[in-house]
Amino acid sequence: MSDILRISLPLTVWLASFSAVYGLQGVACSQHWAAAGLDVATARVVLTAAWIAALAVQVAFVFVLGSPRFASRSLFVRTVSRILAAAGLVTTLWTLFPVVTTSVCI
Amino acid sequence: MLAGCTESLSIVHPAGSAAEVIATLWWVMLIGATAIFLLVTVLLVLSFRRGEQPSGPEADARRERIWIQGFGLAFSLIVLAALTGYGLYVGERLLPRPGPDVVTVRAEGARWQWRFTYDDAPGRTTLGVLHIPARRQVDVQITTVDVIHSFWAPRLGGKLDAIPGHVNVLRIEADTPGDYAGVSAEFNGRGYTGHRFIVRAHDDAGWDAFLRGETP
Amino acid sequence: MNALRRHRELERIWSSRPGWRGKLTTVNNNDIGLMFMFVATAYFVIGGILAMLIRSQLASPHSAFMGPDVYNQVFTMHGTIMMFLFAIPLFEGLTMHVLPRMLGTRDMAFPRLSAFGLWCYVFGGSILIFALLAGVAPDSGWFMYPPLASTLGSPGVNADFWLIGITFVEISAISAAVEIVTTVLLYRAPGMSLEKLPIFAWYMLVVAVMILTAFPPLILGSILLELERAFGMPFFQVAQGGDSLLWQHLFWIFAHPEVYIIFLPGAAVISTVLPVMARTTLLGYRWIVVATVALGILSFGLWVHHMFTTGLPHMGLAFFSAASTLVAVPTGIQIFAWIGTLWKGRPEMHLPMLWIVAFFATFVLGGLTGVMVAIVPFNWQTHDTYFIVAHFHYVLVGGFVFPMLAGLYYWLPHFTGRKRYFKTGETAFWLVVLGFHGTFLLLHWAGLLGMRRRIDTVEAGSGWELINLLASIGGFAMAIGFALVLLDVAVNVAVSTRSRRNPWRAGTLEWAALSPSPSYNMASLPEIRSRYPLYDDPELPARIARGEGYLGEPRDGLRENLAVDISSGRPRCLVIFPTNSVLPIIMAAVTGGLFVGMLIKAYWLVPVSLVGMAVIATWWAWTLGSGEDQDPRPVGNGLVLPLASELKRPPGWWGSLFLLLADVVFMGSLLFGYAFLWTVAPNWPPPAYLKPGLLGPVLVLGGAALSFGGIRLAQRALRHDEKPWPGLLLNFAGLVSLGGAAGTVLARTVHDAHAFDATLWVIAGYVIFHVIVAVLMTMFLTLRAVAGYLSSRRIGEANIVGLWSDYAAVVALLGLGAAWLPGAFT
Repeated sequence: MSDILRISLPLTVWLASFSAVYGLQGVACSQHWAAAGLDVATARVVLTAAWIAALAVQVAFVFVLGSPRFASRSLFVRTVSRILAAAGLVTTLWTLFPVVTTSVCI
Repeated sequence: MLAGCTESLSIVHPAGSAAEVIATLWWVMLIGATAIFLLVTVLLVLSFRRGEQPSGPEADARRERIWIQGFGLAFSLIVLAALTGYGLYVGERLLPRPGPDVVTVRAEGARWQWRFTYDDAPGRTTLGVLHIPARRQVDVQITTVDVIHSFWAPRLGGKLDAIPGHVNVLRIEADTPGDYAGVSAEFNGRGYTGHRFIVRAHDDAGWDAFLRGETP
Repeated sequence: MNALRRHRELERIWSSRPGWRGKLTTVNNNDIGLMFMFVATAYFVIGGILAMLIRSQLASPHSAFMGPDVYNQVFTMHGTIMMFLFAIPLFEGLTMHVLPRMLGTRDMAFPRLSAFGLWCYVFGGSILIFALLAGVAPDSGWFMYPPLASTLGSPGVNADFWLIGITFVEISAISAAVEIVTTVLLYRAPGMSLEKLPIFAWYMLVVAVMILTAFPPLILGSILLELERAFGMPFFQVAQGGDSLLWQHLFWIFAHPEVYIIFLPGAAVISTVLPVMARTTLLGYRWIVVATVALGILSFGLWVHHMFTTGLPHMGLAFFSAASTLVAVPTGIQIFAWIGTLWKGRPEMHLPMLWIVAFFATFVLGGLTGVMVAIVPFNWQTHDTYFIVAHFHYVLVGGFVFPMLAGLYYWLPHFTGRKRYFKTGETAFWLVVLGFHGTFLLLHWAGLLGMRRRIDTVEAGSGWELINLLASIGGFAMAIGFALVLLDVAVNVAVSTRSRRNPWRAGTLEWAALSPSPSYNMASLPEIRSRYPLYDDPELPARIARGEGYLGEPRDGLRENLAVDISSGRPRCLVIFPTNSVLPIIMAAVTGGLFVGMLIKAYWLVPVSLVGMAVIATWWAWTLGSGEDQDPRPVGNGLVLPLASELKRPPGWWGSLFLLLADVVFMGSLLFGYAFLWTVAPNWPPPAYLKPGLLGPVLVLGGAALSFGGIRLAQRALRHDEKPWPGLLLNFAGLVSLGGAAGTVLARTVHDAHAFDATLWVIAGYVIFHVIVAVLMTMFLTLRAVAGYLSSRRIGEANIVGLWSDYAAVVALLGLGAAWLPGAFT
């Protein structure tokens, strides 16, 4: 079962962070954000911070799944899980880069 | 293609800047997609050629590098990155940003009718015909009184849904005065097919006359 | 024992009873797989007839063939049938049929669950077909957007048929998924480690996990919409704090992965059949595994691309646009790996290969238009036009139907035991493929010219008339082609010569079996050393038949099978499988009472059915396990293994775990819906939030502690051969206390006052449901302890109950905590 987790965890964590950033963006564009006295510029800062945090987690996966302590004993699972960890990092970069390039609430 | 009503709802016959940039996007994507499809077809046809292929783990490793890391990964990533960037750039350009010269109108969908009101002519209501000035950016505030509808005048821009309790804003623009066809584009029951409207773009004089309450 | 005697003895043990009664009580994967495929084909014919009605209506301008009331039912049912009653059950049936043989095992993990799923599918589908024949079929489009699908737009019973019938059918998808995951992970031939898994099994593992995580949001959405329609609980009504966009989120969180749930089985067939047709092995096995896993997870981050025109902010759209283009990368990896495989080998143009070429020509186009509509501005124009209709027919027919036909002709010897004789299949191929492109290629252009989907007539002078006429002609050619495929298979069943073993000279294990496949699948379970066991050892089929593998000697008339370690594939235990039973069909019929009661508003039928289900479930579970400790038994080749009933984590524990995964996603979707309404629904906050008070939190915290500690105390006592009663009693008391806490929420809110109250009712109801399940399981465990079914070695059942009991405590803590959260801070 731990081999299955090694394979599925990086992208699952991407999915969680992706959904979380999307939810955060939803809150930032809702009445609650203004009610809390925050503005759109703050929203961009918070979203960017969340993106960087998500990237950091993915970088951690790349290292952890590459380290002899946590890697699988099976060569096949080791290779597949490392490629998928790299995929998780690229996916986090690719899908969340709009936090710095697009309008927040229009 | 001949001009006439066959193109009245056509995405590829734009009549305003919003529809124009999207039409350009389409033609670029069509060319790219055709090229990729031809490439795949050629590779597929060539695979049926005869002759002995090298075998063994080294030959397979080389094939993985070419087919999977080369075509599958690198080629796809480059093409898609370019397209995604282009799409987001176009999307940003089309957003209804506030501006000094923007005209604001309101569209209210109902089964099966559209009701339009105007910020510049308070109290003025039109049914089934939306009046706008030509050559000016128009923000349409879209909402509904019953189920979900969608406001779509294809030659002037994309569509946007009318959602209960929400007001969505769509930026459209017509280059020349005239009538443009519009339809409701979210299925809404038995009268859906006939749920249409017209966008009437006026020249400056016509728009002033409309605002004064005359029916042009 | 010689091979023939072994065959006869195993057939006697594993086959269904003779005659039509046997079909009602069978639990064998071969029977159930074929029945799934047969019923799915019947629904495909119905869905196809509806498609022909659509094409007849649109063939000429202003057709008076059907009025909008009929036409709306026709296109809604066409989509619904093809997605829910055809595509998913078809590949489930195929998987149930071939997967156990590919894995070198004797059946699916939970045979009676297979049968239960089949009957839920048959009965649920019948409800929808009844609606169609009675003229009260759903008519709001297959994605059922409220308010159109709620009481405002659909006051009649039509939408109820959809919500209730489809939810009933989804039970079969969930149960099949639990089975497939458990089978791939636990039931394989000895030595088949993860890297030696047939690629088909990797695909189906990913698909099954996707079903477990994608269907719960739709089930939740359907329950909420039905509650709104039946009891006025305003989840989607804006005036009372609901929001119709909530449905769209829940629906598409399901329905986008659904597209990949349908495509991946097609890809699984391609990855299996294409290398055999090219006389080689699959290029880049591990890359395909990577791509499949990536596709499976990425597909859950795309749902908003169906909502690009709903007025969400551009940044939100941009996230999903980027994710939607990225998902083309793992798809591209697979496409190019397949082309590379063809280059590596020597492709031969047999009929399955023809269908694979048609797949390439069609699916690649559908993928390219898919990338186009992932681009936000282009989507603003083409959304809800025939461009989209054409796109998804290219993807679904190209990516699913064509590969399934390749698979049908590839595995036909397994299904019928005969090889093809006439050339009908080739004629059918050309009719279908040319007819398909004739129908849908030009419809892209009609969409660009502004033709909206779901309009009931083509207007004269619109510029789409000729395209639609040609599309209708193409559509009829395609229909004739499909009819010929069915005829071809029927002829194949009736006449033509017997197939020999492994006619394609394939390397995977399913071809070691006889044709048609015997009920026991594997006469003995071989030791596996590579991904292509038949290439390693061409003599393997004969050695399996001679009983040289494991479990080669049938004994005591028992259905014996081996379970293995997940990663390494080393044999772990001996499992005795259940025999033919009438329980699954009875259970499905009683479950049907629940749904019919909702549908005809005979609400008394709902609790009656629930009690009936509990009784049958008890009966069902009681037949398992053993009344005494058993010695480990020899399984052949000198290996001695314990029985599954003496494992700490028996297969039933794993099945429960995977089912709980679906349950977790359901709970997550519910909390998402709650947070969504809090964030964006226009008429929030509600007049008043519920204050937690003192009683509820005390009951929850105390109850969770009692139940959590109680079940552990009972497990500990069992491990030490002591009496489990104190622990079971504490657990029982804790669970009742949790139920009481949920009761305080119900007592202090009004179900239809505001979407907030309605949401709290659903959360509390969900908690109470799980408390009742855990209470029943605790009572069952008590009875089992009394009857001597538990001991320090036979602890598995207590661990299964522990899972469900803990889950009830966790959902009570989380759910009720969330219910009280806003009230605690205002």
